[in-house]
Formats: sequence, structure tokens, C-alpha cells
Amino acid sequence: MNAVTLSEKMIWVKRSIAVVLVLAAWSFCSVAGLVNDYLLPAPWKIADLAWKMICDGTLLKHVWISLYRVFLGFGITLGLAFPLAAVVGLNKIFFELLETPLEFVRHVPPLATTPLLILWLGIGESSKLAVIVLATFFPIFLNTVNGVSQCDKKLLEVGRVLGLRPFERIVRIILPSALPVIIVGLRLGFGYSWRALIGAELLAAAAGLGYMIIEAEALARPDIVLVGIISIGTLGHLLDSSFLRLSRKLIPWHEMESDYGRY
Amino acid sequence: MGGIEIHALGKQFQINNRLIPAVCNFELQVSEREFVTIVGKSGCGKTTLLRLICGLENADQGYVRLAGHNGKAFDQRVSIVFQEPRLMPWLTVRQNMAFSLLKENDHQKVDRTVNFFLNMLGLTPFQDAYPRQISGGMAQRTALGRTLCFDPDIILMDEPFGALDAFTRHNLQQELVDIFLSQNKTIIFVTHDVNEAVLLGQRVLVMDKGSIRRELAIDIPYPRDALSKDFYNLREEILRSVLKP
Ligand SMILES: Nc1ncnc2c1ncn2[C@@H]1O[C@H](COP(=O)(O)OP(=O)(O)OP(=O)(O)O)[C@@H](O)[C@H]1O
Ligand SMILES: [Mg+2]
Repeated sequence: MNAVTLSEKMIWVKRSIAVVLVLAAWSFCSVAGLVNDYLLPAPWKIADLAWKMICDGTLLKHVWISLYRVFLGFGITLGLAFPLAAVVGLNKIFFELLETPLEFVRHVPPLATTPLLILWLGIGESSKLAVIVLATFFPIFLNTVNGVSQCDKKLLEVGRVLGLRPFERIVRIILPSALPVIIVGLRLGFGYSWRALIGAELLAAAAGLGYMIIEAEALARPDIVLVGIISIGTLGHLLDSSFLRLSRKLIPWHEMESDYGRY
Repeated sequence: MGGIEIHALGKQFQINNRLIPAVCNFELQVSEREFVTIVGKSGCGKTTLLRLICGLENADQGYVRLAGHNGKAFDQRVSIVFQEPRLMPWLTVRQNMAFSLLKENDHQKVDRTVNFFLNMLGLTPFQDAYPRQISGGMAQRTALGRTLCFDPDIILMDEPFGALDAFTRHNLQQELVDIFLSQNKTIIFVTHDVNEAVLLGQRVLVMDKGSIRRELAIDIPYPRDALSKDFYNLREEILRSVLKP
């Protein structure tokens, strides 16, 4: 038990080293006057500004709107991608029918569709949600299809000789065996959605972290841009690591102990 | 009721444009509550035969007929313990064993059944481990317990004790004989081990190139003494017949 907590502490120490080094170098440059204080303000000035923006609510408002869009868009994608992936993954014909159009759309970066989406949907919420759905759909859909269609035939045979009906085999064998792959897709999709959203907010929005940055550019406030960038990176990392922790809980049998390939 | 009727059964596989007869012209009648063991060299078609009997392969020639119902669901008449454990990696040992019982509403009965077989197979201390965390022999025992919990009339076993140490193997052989004697099972048991075949079977079939080469009735009553003269003679005879070119 002690050994575990000790090594966990060591990991945190190691992870902090790079952050501390960057902050130290940045502070040194500011103090020594190596950088223009307007273009790259000192770290404590940024921290001070961030604190003020948290206190007066502007930062939290933008963060909240961006998070809300990501979660809503993500939820819409789940509702679309899961049923579709289940149908396609379980029936080869559908997969062959959809392969070409899917391959085409997959190679178009979601951001490239933003101008069109704005023309079609306006600069309101729907165009941002559409970008998120486009960005998250493919990793989630394709991973679910792969997970479902690549289920081990030997396990399906076990289901057959233990009297499971076809629907029970889907629920009790195909889905759980696909879960680790599905979760990888969810995590990828989540990362993509965050990036795509910020991009979309840079192009067209009236609020959100991306809008905050573009507005700061217009006001010629690099310090606010920096606060925005740091918030985006920090939030993205926090979301991803909570997702990872959640997924470890969902698939406790995965990545556990070594795999001797004998089960 | 668990009788099996096999007539003119044949199955070929295609490997690189060559037809390999895995099972050919196979004839066998197994009566209800009979314990048949099958020995034979690697590749002689034992696994294919069991897969044909439980319907995992379709026959190219002939047929397999399973007799009567016994009041159970149609598909609970026959099941198989595979040569590999084939456990669900996302389920614990206990959940794997109870895999076929999830539809059962009487949870106490399920618990009792699972506990009984966990105990019999010496897996109680590992019931909450995942397949990745247990040894090969434990995985094989879990797979055996999973089929025993399912409780089919006809149990097909494909070298189920192959990965076990001599002591565990000896215990499980005794347990299997007890289950056979007390629970009205029909068992077809495939093994590489001639000693095991004579210890367990009422009839030993020697398989070669997809059909039965030799058939011997073993009349020694259970529990059998592997050191007796009769036992020794039968074992030698079967061994000779397996090794004959
Ligand atoms: N799915 C398959 N595709 C092609 N050939 C197969 C297949 N299954 C079995 N065979 C062939 O059928 C023959 C019999 O195989 P089988 O697995 O029944 O042997 P076995 O008696 O169980 O051997 P072992 O004792 O090594 O398990 C072999 O020649 C094998 O190559
Ligand atoms: Mg085999």
C-alpha cells in the first residue's frame, strides 16, 4: 500500500517538473526583460488576470458555454452513432453500402465545412453543434463498428453451446467484448470535439472560449488570448483524464495484470 | 434423455485447394447415460466430431440425431467443454461459471449451484478474479464449471483435463465419475491419455483418420483401480491399437 502511494506521488512529481521548468523560464525572461511585456506578459500577470476574470464571471461564462456545447454535441453524436454502428457492425451489407460515402466524409476536416454550416444554419448554436457532431461521429462510429464486427468467433460459439439466443449473444457477448474499443473511440471523439468546437467558435460565435480569444484579438489583448489558451489546454486535459478514469471503472478487466494469452 | 445416433457422418475441410477429410463415414450409437471416451492421435478428427455433434459444424454427409427431451429447452440437451477455456475476459471466474444461468430467476438456487461447483473445482478463493489473473489450469476448470452449471443432458468434453496437474486431474476424474453416476448424464470424453480413457469410459473408441478404428467395452465397475491386472491389459491393448500404423 505504501509503495503504491509513494510511486503515485513520484508520478505527480515527474509530471509537474516540465510545468515548473516552463514557468521558471517564462518568469526569468519576463524579469530579465528578454520579452516584450505587452506581447508576452509575465506569468503572475496572467494568473492575476485569470483570477479577476474568474471573479467577475466572464471566464466562467465562456467556459460554461463551451462545455455545454461539447457535452450536448457529444450526446447527439452518441444517439446517432451507436444505433447506426450497431446496425452496420452486425450486417456486412450495410457496411459495404456505406463504405464509400463514409470514407469521403471522413477525410473532410469538420472545420472546412463551417462556412457552409454557417450559411445553412446561421451562427447560432446549431452550426456549432453540427461541427461537433461531424468531428466526433467518425471515431465513435468506426470504433464501435470495428468492435462489434471483430468479436471473437470462439466466444460466440460459447454462447451458442450455452443456449443463448441471437439477441442475448449480442447483448452478453458482442457488446461487452466491443466495449474497450468503443471507449477508445469515445475518448478520441471527445478530444476531437473540444478542438473542433474551439475552431468553430473562432469563426462564428457570440460566446465561448474561442469567441473570447477572437474578441481579445480585436481588443489587442494578448493577455486575454493567453488566458483563453491556457484554459482550453487545462480543461481539455482535465476532461480527458476524467474520461480515462471513468473508462477504467467501466472496463476493470482491461489493462489489468499481464496478458499471457491463455484465456 | 440423452441418446445419440450418428450415421455415415462425414466432414471435409479445404486447405489450399486440398480436401482434408476430418471425419469420414463415422458410425456410432451412444445410449442414454453412457460414458464414452475417445482416444486418437492429434489431427484424427476428434474435435471436429464433437463440433458436429453439438451443431457447431454442419455435416457434409450423414447425420447426427439427438434423442428425446427430458423436459428441458431444446438447446440444453447438448453442450461442450472446449479444448481451450474460452472464458469471457470481462467476467470474473464466478460470473463466467454462472454465464448460462442469468435467465434463472431463483438467485438462491443459482448461488447454490455456482458455489457447489466452485468448491468442487477448488476455485472458491479465486471466484472474483478475472481470467487474465488466473493460471491456465484454473481457466480450464472454470470452463468445465461453466458447462456443469449449464447442466446439459449430453456433455461433450474435448481434453478438458489436458492443462491440469496430476493431483487436480486425479480429483476431477473422481468428481466426473461421481457426477456421471449421480446425475443421469451422457458423456463423450476426448483425451490423449489412454490411462484416463480406461479410467473413465464404459466404452473406449480409438479414432484414426476420421473414423473408428477400434472399440472396446470396459466392464470394470467404478471406482476403478488403475493398478489392477485387467486395467493394465486394457490399457496396453488400446495403446497398441493407437500406435499401430
Ligand atoms: N476449421 C478448419 N478448417 C480447416 N481444416 C480444419 C478445420 N478444423 C479442423 N481441420 C482439419 O481437420 C483435421 C482434424 O482436426 P481436429 O481438430 O478434429 O483434430 P483433433 O483430433 O481434435 O486433434 P487434436 O488432438 O490435436 O486436438 C485436421 O487435419 C485439421 O487440419
Ligand atoms: Mg482437438
